[in-house]
Amino acid sequence: MARDRLSLTASHLSKSYFSTVEIGSKYSSTYKNYLILPNGGIGSYFHDIPINLNLPNKTCNVVIEIPRWSNAKFEINKDLQYNPITQDLKNNKPRFVKNLYPFKGYPQNYGAIPQTWDDPTIVETNTGYKGDNDPIDIVEIGSRIAQTGEVIECKILGSLALIDDGELDWKVIAIDINDELVNNSKNNLNDIQDVETVCPGLLSNIKLWFQNYKKPDGKSENQFGFNGEYLNVDKTLEIIQHGHQSWKNLINDQLKNQNDKFPLIINTTQVGTKGFVTQLNKNDIIQGNIHEKDSEIPKDIEKSYYF
Amino acid sequence: MVYTTRQIGAKNSLDYKVFIEKDGKPVSPFHDIPLYADESKQILNFVVEIPRWTNAKLEISKEQDLNPIIQDTKKGKLRFVRNVFPHHGYIWNYGAFPQTWEDPNVAHPETKANGDNDPLDVLEIGEAVGYTGQVKQVKVLGVFALLDEGETDWKVVVIDVNDPLAPKLNDIEDVERHLPGLLRATNEWFRVYKIPDGKPENQFAFSGEAKNKKYAEEVIRETHEAWENLINGKSDKGDISLATINSNVEVPNGENKQDDPIDKSIDKWFFISGASA
Repeated sequence: MARDRLSLTASHLSKSYFSTVEIGSKYSSTYKNYLILPNGGIGSYFHDIPINLNLPNKTCNVVIEIPRWSNAKFEINKDLQYNPITQDLKNNKPRFVKNLYPFKGYPQNYGAIPQTWDDPTIVETNTGYKGDNDPIDIVEIGSRIAQTGEVIECKILGSLALIDDGELDWKVIAIDINDELVNNSKNNLNDIQDVETVCPGLLSNIKLWFQNYKKPDGKSENQFGFNGEYLNVDKTLEIIQHGHQSWKNLINDQLKNQNDKFPLIINTTQVGTKGFVTQLNKNDIIQGNIHEKDSEIPKDIEKSYYF
Repeated sequence: MVYTTRQIGAKNSLDYKVFIEKDGKPVSPFHDIPLYADESKQILNFVVEIPRWTNAKLEISKEQDLNPIIQDTKKGKLRFVRNVFPHHGYIWNYGAFPQTWEDPNVAHPETKANGDNDPLDVLEIGEAVGYTGQVKQVKVLGVFALLDEGETDWKVVVIDVNDPLAPKLNDIEDVERHLPGLLRATNEWFRVYKIPDGKPENQFAFSGEAKNKKYAEEVIRETHEAWENLINGKSDKGDISLATINSNVEVPNGENKQDDPIDKSIDKWFFISGASA
């Protein structure tokens, strides 16, 4: 036990008491970051963090996958038991996004809304595209750099309908409810148009980033639904509710066309669902796996790409 | 010619000093490192003070013997530049040319402003992130004339000769061709970077346009001459230390200290109306 290099980081600043446990070596294919629930057991980032969607306050929980200004493409893994956060692989190599001048890595904290799902079998009527089979993505625009696996209660502000590789991939704009930009009484940060007032240039730059971020890898520019316009907070709340309902259909096994590409539904809190399993202790996951030193980030990730 | 670094104290602390050494012996990056690495090929030595995408205002200390790189302070506190959206920290490897000096007693004929009493500042635009105290070999592409709080503060644009793009970049117009937006971002960065600290926007001479390579070479020649006058005693040295490798300055042994943490508030992004990508 003394040599067990388990790292338990309390999700600080937060009323939530979720924490994480990391095994393997960050920036390699061995890395896994598991969610630890308040009772100390393992949970799924996808299924076991309550969405806590509060419609009057327009808030919900979000999970941070990628900290601002970093390049490693960490995401909730749909195919591994308990959905740890792992680094996406491309040709068996850890994937890093390129620096799109003048940005370094992701321009904001990036993550997902737990207990939501963009159903890949349903066509969204306005855009005509199907969901991308992932939880709904969020862009957290707060002042603080968040950590991978951190759970943050956020104020929802709006959304952008990205069409990525022929799929609809919602990007919800949100901000930590405890951020100084929210608490500053001079600001009135409640809806998408307020973002332009408080953070001039931010929205157009986020859009530009999502439009171009795959171009350095030889892919074409991404498109947007809704004429590339941001949707306001009320429309966005509907999208989140819809995504939450899709997730309920998934977890309750109520989808007509089963598909082996669907996310694993194994969970430790949704009693009575098909995927419910008795909670494992964190030691069962960690057993024999140590948290190793970070792997080196390839030097060529420093390069910027210009358009 | 291989230079190494000797670190004293922890990074992000008041004790932090980086000496540059040659063959294990500390040298002055102001006076000992030659300006030209290969004058016939117009390759210059450049000392990295601030690596790209970092915020700590590190600079060659003019006053301390052998001119180690230290972090600038303001009212006794470590100085960090703020992030002005969409930029993160310094947007190039930032540093200085050795053996150059912007003489504060002389007004430049075109900018009409006096020098800022520092070595000539350099922006290295290559893709690799450098490290504090690194000595890179670079080629000159052009120069901006910033008027920072009323002083001429030249910013020479260069690229590492080993960068993959270096063969294609030979003058300032090549920068816009191969790195579109970089010069505009550079102009914007210098105009606004002190605004979060409550200072006014900085001004540029020449309407903010970067001058070409030929003009930059002239600035380098003038500031190199000013440095020669400084070490020859023809100019008033003020508080500047002229100690060199031959001065037998005692330098403590290097320490391999872990970095001190940077205050979280430095991560904040400042949004300024009118700034853009």
